[in-house]
Amino acid sequence: MKKLLSATAFLMALCFSPFALSLDEKVYVNVNGMVCDFCARALEKVFGRQESVESIKVDLDDRLVVIHLRKGEQLDDATITQLITDSGYAVREIKRGE
Amino acid sequence: MRLLLRTFVGAGLIVPALVLARPVSYSGGWTLMLMNDGTKNTVHAHYSPTAKTSLGYRFEYWQNRELRLDLLQVNRLLKRWNRPDSQANLYLKSGVGIAHGNEFDDKARMAGFASLAADWENRRYFVAYENRYTWMKDGDDFFSQSARIGWAPYEGDYGDLHTWLMLQVDHLADNRMVITPLVRFFKGVHLLETGLSDRGAVLLNYIFRY
Repeated sequence: MKKLLSATAFLMALCFSPFALSLDEKVYVNVNGMVCDFCARALEKVFGRQESVESIKVDLDDRLVVIHLRKGEQLDDATITQLITDSGYAVREIKRGE
Repeated sequence: MRLLLRTFVGAGLIVPALVLARPVSYSGGWTLMLMNDGTKNTVHAHYSPTAKTSLGYRFEYWQNRELRLDLLQVNRLLKRWNRPDSQANLYLKSGVGIAHGNEFDDKARMAGFASLAADWENRRYFVAYENRYTWMKDGDDFFSQSARIGWAPYEGDYGDLHTWLMLQVDHLADNRMVITPLVRFFKGVHLLETGLSDRGAVLLNYIFRY
């Protein structure tokens, strides 16, 4: 019982720790059709309107958009896909993590 | 407005050209385009409520005809092909408004145009084609078309200065052909083009996207 309580306490601490919150702070999106600075600017502006987004970085070389979320905020895949579409481009893949 | 045009264009620095730039921005985006195409100078400001449509105002001044057009313009992205390393587009552009000019004894006339534009580009190569049918009540209707190819000597990332070497060919309403080599500089929200045609005229275009 003592071990079970300890394990539960450890897991809860892990869940609410800054480390746990930061697991989802970056979202990596591979984007099709992103070929110029106007494309990158469009993505910056569209994602910049989202309160959950701290900032984004566009890498034309890797066709990659890195979305930095605010602490504790979430942005689901469907919303990301819609925002990329609103920018005029297409999502190839979404990955999450540090 | 006239001062702006004079400053931007300069006396006699006119080259026949259709400019070939994406006429639709992202959802909520604004774009300002200042263009010299030889027979005319153009200011086009548009807003894109969606990534497939833009609405705007277009001003054109045709020097040789001393003709002025004030138009409401609607651009529609008919199809976009987004690929990992490239993008292609097909647009329908249209405008309707009023023409003023000596040929109409300075009286206003209804005018409009319809245009199809297609482009393909990756980060090294660029190909585009555009045509336009222009109509004016009690005036001469005319058709013009333009094509452009481009090559980037290096690939820059976002925020770098991008440089393109381009060649534009215009087929004008009076059946003249004009060839214009030009260079495009592209950085962030600014795009600047300058060139010199085979008729010795300077091309100067500027686009700002907000």
